[in-house]
Amino acid sequence: MIFLFGPLYSGKRELAMELLRCDAAELARRAVWDVQDLAAKSGDLPALAEELAKYDVVIATEVGGGVVPVSPDERAAREAAGRLNCLLAQRAETVARVFCGISMVLKGELP
Amino acid sequence: MMTLVIGGAASGKSEYAERLVLASAYERRIYIATMEPFDGECLARIEKHRRMRAEKRFETVECYTNLASVTVPPDSVVLLECVGNLCANEMYSPHGSGDRAAETILEGAARLKDQCGDMVVVSNEVFAGGSCYEEGTMAYLRRLARVNRMLADLADNVCEVACGIPVYYKGKEPC
Repeated sequence: MIFLFGPLYSGKRELAMELLRCDAAELARRAVWDVQDLAAKSGDLPALAEELAKYDVVIATEVGGGVVPVSPDERAAREAAGRLNCLLAQRAETVARVFCGISMVLKGELP
Repeated sequence: MMTLVIGGAASGKSEYAERLVLASAYERRIYIATMEPFDGECLARIEKHRRMRAEKRFETVECYTNLASVTVPPDSVVLLECVGNLCANEMYSPHGSGDRAAETILEGAARLKDQCGDMVVVSNEVFAGGSCYEEGTMAYLRRLARVNRMLADLADNVCEVACGIPVYYKGKEPC
């Protein structure tokens, strides 16, 4: 599994399509994105990470780099998203951060 | 050797910092805890970090303000966590140094660095989620950013942890 993460609209899905040499329709079958939203609703992050790791590419938008939110629910959601990212990065063969459409490989290598 | 570890929420920075401490040649591990237990959420967080340090033979020193008052032995490896709390404490606590928060923290860190064998400092990345906050928050962000830059200057190694993986901007992984 390849794990891609980065800020909002940084070109993560475009990179995924390039890596998988596929179009948007195929990407929808082989990849999953916005997993940060799934983290907030999950009661079992390791199980969620295990499930997500079955996809070829997993994509997360980074949400932990801002000011600590005042609302406890938002704080918990951000914590869950960060924790899920760590679990996904552990399971991934390749981890890359995407910034302005440019990828920086943090683990393994891109195909 | 001083290493500054910075990361966002739940980025894995604590786990990584602890790994650096365990890999240090110095075996006397001192943890400087900075979080004042205000409420249940703080207590839960303190408990989580306490569990992480359990059986790793850390001596815990609590320090909410005035870091320079802490003394550590020369054969120790110090884990200071985290600067974001310390900065808030210095700015808002009645015992804090207020406008001198950044300087107070830097003086304390420099003194610790001179005393101990190895030192790992954890701070927060809270600067990438917007640029328009009320003035009190902006003042805190300006101070913490200043502390981070000064600590990065003082440190031998500086990394950001993302998804549990360190990215070094200065120096290299010390072990």
